[in-house]
Amino acid sequence: MKFTKYLKDIWVVVLIFIIFFITMLSFFIAFKITKELIFAFVITYIIFSTTILLYSYYRKKYFYQTFLNNLNKLDQKYLITELMKKPNFYEGKIIYDAIYEIDKSMTENVNNYKRHTEDFKEYIELWIHEVKLPLASLNLITHNNKTNQKIKKCLEELDNYIEQILYYVRSENPEKDYLIKKHYLEDIVKNVALKNKDNFLYTKTDFIVSDLDKEVLTDSKWLEYIINQIISNSLKYLKEENPYIKITAYENDKEINLIILDNGKGISQSDLPRVFDKSFTGENGHEKGKATGMGLYICYNLCEKLGHKLKIESVKDKFTKVTITFMKNDYYLTKM
Amino acid sequence: MQKILIVEDDLTISTELKEMLDTASFEGIILKDFDNSLNEILEINPDLILLDINIPKINGQILLKELRKQTNIPVIMVTSRKSEVDEVLSMSYGADDYVTKPYNPTLLLLKINAILKRANKPINFINYHNLKVIPAKGIIKGKEEIILTKNEMIILGTLLNNLGNIVSRDTLMTELWNNKEYINDNALSVNINRLRHKLKEAGIENAIETRKGQGYILK
Repeated sequence: MKFTKYLKDIWVVVLIFIIFFITMLSFFIAFKITKELIFAFVITYIIFSTTILLYSYYRKKYFYQTFLNNLNKLDQKYLITELMKKPNFYEGKIIYDAIYEIDKSMTENVNNYKRHTEDFKEYIELWIHEVKLPLASLNLITHNNKTNQKIKKCLEELDNYIEQILYYVRSENPEKDYLIKKHYLEDIVKNVALKNKDNFLYTKTDFIVSDLDKEVLTDSKWLEYIINQIISNSLKYLKEENPYIKITAYENDKEINLIILDNGKGISQSDLPRVFDKSFTGENGHEKGKATGMGLYICYNLCEKLGHKLKIESVKDKFTKVTITFMKNDYYLTKM
Repeated sequence: MQKILIVEDDLTISTELKEMLDTASFEGIILKDFDNSLNEILEINPDLILLDINIPKINGQILLKELRKQTNIPVIMVTSRKSEVDEVLSMSYGADDYVTKPYNPTLLLLKINAILKRANKPINFINYHNLKVIPAKGIIKGKEEIILTKNEMIILGTLLNNLGNIVSRDTLMTELWNNKEYINDNALSVNINRLRHKLKEAGIENAIETRKGQGYILK
């Protein structure tokens, strides 16, 4: 709050002060009052009027300055009411009460949405668990009746789509519903491999694994989902001759890197920076026409939450290389 | 025949599970009375329990905790809840394994077999005709010792477990992949042929028969 700006704001008051001053002065001159008295009047008048102006200025300045400073420092601006002191002037009191009321009703409104989202999330999770029951039945029925392999494939796809919603809900929610523990990379990769076994064999894709006997700190279910997503992407965009997917890992003092490399169709340079964007499908997705553009977006979010880094390099028609970086112990020790 | 108890309230799943277990030459039993599950289970005294977490009256994890106070029957938790927390909790209550729905039936059968094998006394060797098969060392011993590769041992082990029954290529493949041997179809055929040769060397001709479209059978 600047004094000049303040004066500009109350220019009417200042103008009245000046008019009053001029009127009084002309009265004094008209009535031929002695110069000493006029002089005394001018001095007194200036002292009193500036005092009045300064007093009202500083009273407001103190309130607004602390208000603005606190607002600047705050990360979540709506918490400002917690830091405001009730001002001692009328105008300020009105604003203070108004802000308080507005904030309160906004918070109530937001809480309403929060509850809604929470309810919805719970319902979706429940729904997913329910829908998995008939899916489990169908899996068993196809197993017991030696039905067409295509049915099995459709069921797998169905399961993958359902998983996608589950992890989308989990990745979008701020609260922590994961558990970080030590896991061997080879065990997690094994579960993903078993899940995709039929697809590997059907497409005659070689699965080559090396150096995975490393322990990482992660949530195994989440990581399984992430790796599964990356591998099923690779399996979707295979090269026609001798396709392979290689998984390996290497470590240094700070981190462990898991690398998933394929010799498939790759991603064009223009698409590469946007693969983690929500709903981005890119050239490959358009060609196949079936992509939702959600898979990698969810993976990226899950990695962020787990504290892993996800990186994709690719050359069109040559290869795609995905790297997941895990921090070693001390990262979590300092963060938690 | 080994008894496997199915604790699951979804009727379709439990009957299909029973059918799957019965064809895999186990005796599948479905738990009917959930009011008194604990006593019912102890009375049936199965060799293994497939336990769902969401069952009526009592939570599966609590039931497992109660069960563990009285018996060491192997338990596989079967659930549609896919979270690390549920798994850690189940394992800490004493589950032997944890599978999420919808499970791969072939894999579930392999897990059941593995756990039952672990629960019984450890087997150092298996007698097959006049041969001694020693899985830990990867050798078959007749007049001479013949060394098997890891893949060949896994295949022979699976066939031996189902001696006289047809084992599908899918089962062999699942077992190999479950042991982190990610081989393809051609490699499986090559391995089976090599195993045939080695068995022939050991003096058993035509040990592994091919049943077209169904799988293999060890005689």
